[in-house]
Amino acid sequence: MNFDILLAVSPILAVAIGGLLLMLAEAFGKPMVLTGPQAGLVSTDAGAGRSDELALGSAVILFAGALISVALWKVGPESLPGAAALAPYLIIDRFTLFFCFLLCLGGGLASLLAGGYLPEHNLDRGEFFPLLVFSTVGAMAVAASGDFLSFFVALETMSLGVYCMIGLRRGNLRASEASLKYFLLGSFAAALTLMGGALLYGATGHTDFVGIGQGIATIGKSTSAVNAPLVLVAVALVIAGLAFKISAVPFHMWTPDAYEGAPTPTTTYMSVAVKSAAFAVLLRILVIGFGDPRLASWGTGWPTIVAWLSVLSMIVANVIAGRQESVKRMLAYSSIAHAGYTLIGVVATMHSGQGTPSVLFYLLTYTVSTVGAFGALILCGRRGAEAVSYEDLAGLGKRHPAAALAFSLFLLSLAGVPPTAGFFGKLYVFSAAVDSQLNVLVVIGLLNSVIGAYYYLRVMVYMYMREPEPGAPLATPMRSGFVVAALIVAAVFVLVCGILPNTSLDVAAAAGLSHG
Amino acid sequence: MSSLGYVIEQYIMLSGALFTLGCIGFLVRRNVLVQLMSIELMLNSVNLTLVAYNRMHTGDLNGQVFAFFIIAVAAAEVAVGLAIVLAFYRLKSSVQSDEADQLRH
Repeated sequence: MNFDILLAVSPILAVAIGGLLLMLAEAFGKPMVLTGPQAGLVSTDAGAGRSDELALGSAVILFAGALISVALWKVGPESLPGAAALAPYLIIDRFTLFFCFLLCLGGGLASLLAGGYLPEHNLDRGEFFPLLVFSTVGAMAVAASGDFLSFFVALETMSLGVYCMIGLRRGNLRASEASLKYFLLGSFAAALTLMGGALLYGATGHTDFVGIGQGIATIGKSTSAVNAPLVLVAVALVIAGLAFKISAVPFHMWTPDAYEGAPTPTTTYMSVAVKSAAFAVLLRILVIGFGDPRLASWGTGWPTIVAWLSVLSMIVANVIAGRQESVKRMLAYSSIAHAGYTLIGVVATMHSGQGTPSVLFYLLTYTVSTVGAFGALILCGRRGAEAVSYEDLAGLGKRHPAAALAFSLFLLSLAGVPPTAGFFGKLYVFSAAVDSQLNVLVVIGLLNSVIGAYYYLRVMVYMYMREPEPGAPLATPMRSGFVVAALIVAAVFVLVCGILPNTSLDVAAAAGLSHG
Repeated sequence: MSSLGYVIEQYIMLSGALFTLGCIGFLVRRNVLVQLMSIELMLNSVNLTLVAYNRMHTGDLNGQVFAFFIIAVAAAEVAVGLAIVLAFYRLKSSVQSDEADQLRH
């Protein structure tokens, strides 16, 4: 029996087993006694009314997964040679462990937010939490996958859970619509990626990224049987499919609708975990599979495509975000813009060894800031009066200074104002791009950060400088220890990464991928 | 080109045609059920590609094994998809994706 393997996959395994136990706890728990018209009867849904314990359970499982990743990082995956038997299906290296930590952190914070949000908004249904945990298992496996086969299975594990979590509010047309749109475009994108993988298999005879990379490297030699045009078509299909998942323009159409219609904890989870996992596999495919110097260069390869995706995402998302009336929808467009900034770092992996670490660090700062911003939005609403529009937030700074202060911190971090995490995230992505002589991209990115600051600051203007219209419904913050706890954890990360970025940067640098 | 290569090429062309049809069907049709079927068509064309190419790369059975995984996962995907369509139909009494128009800014 090879214990190295068990030890190496322990973060994924622990979360998966935890998810199974949570599902059992959900199914065999004590049912809630109904109130209202059916008072006295016992609910037929055993998971109903138990968000407190289930949220706590799933948060514990996911934070345990994060801690195990940290422990494994300290041990060092290099010291587990037996784990190589899992390759190429699951590759356990520092890159994977970094993402396991990041995804567990994002998932754990999202489940804390759900623990406050679901009971408050009459959505107290237990299945949300096992879905979230299993979806995180899929996301971790996506980040670890080094083969199109395991990547596809993991991607669907992650996505199927998310489709269900979006449609949790079954009786609500907007939620059903959001989940329908995301489902259709998500499976379409998966089919595109898969076709790309099948064509690469045809061209190179391999489905694993390393083998594909080696096959592509033989193009041009007289012994090579690899068909170059086929490879180019496949690269385009794979990038297009993944661009849907990271919601880069022009593959972003579903994003605002799905983000707005979903329950806010699901929105948080999608913008944090799903996007990070997709970036993980995008980096791995581009660097390991398509790392051939001819394919990773201007003119003939993917950097041109990725750079265009990045520029379009930043410009289109920032222009549209400024015109939104709903803060939730604004945050959805802002997540598209952030995908654009992150893609600058992805392009920089072409020349600079700083590219991958800068993307990892950016995703960390983006994760904690986004969780915080959505969490603050959740905190500002209560039953029947979810805070969604700018008007809802008017005057919040005077009425509820603590909630407004938390919201402001996370918005400043998203805007990239020092000394918050977002500032250093942008700084390192831009400096990696300067290292790779991508000056035009950096200038466009900087201009867009300035445009982006407009709509983040607009929220703060409403909170601190506007008085609510007379007679308008006032947002009053809900009371929930779960949401407050998630906000505190996120705020600690935002400030620590913003004031003392060295530790997390060293970690991100050690997690970087090297060209295979 | 050997006769085997010729046969494989025909299968690849067929699967390319199926994939394109699926793409067009997904983008053009507005009936959600037809869109779901188009996605299934695309996935099946991927299966065909994998199995056909496996005849060329005879060293292992990677392509055929991959096709089995796709079949299984596609079944799970369709189960969730139909549930979502059903939830939408209950509220809207329609399966036209045009009528999913609540979410606009």
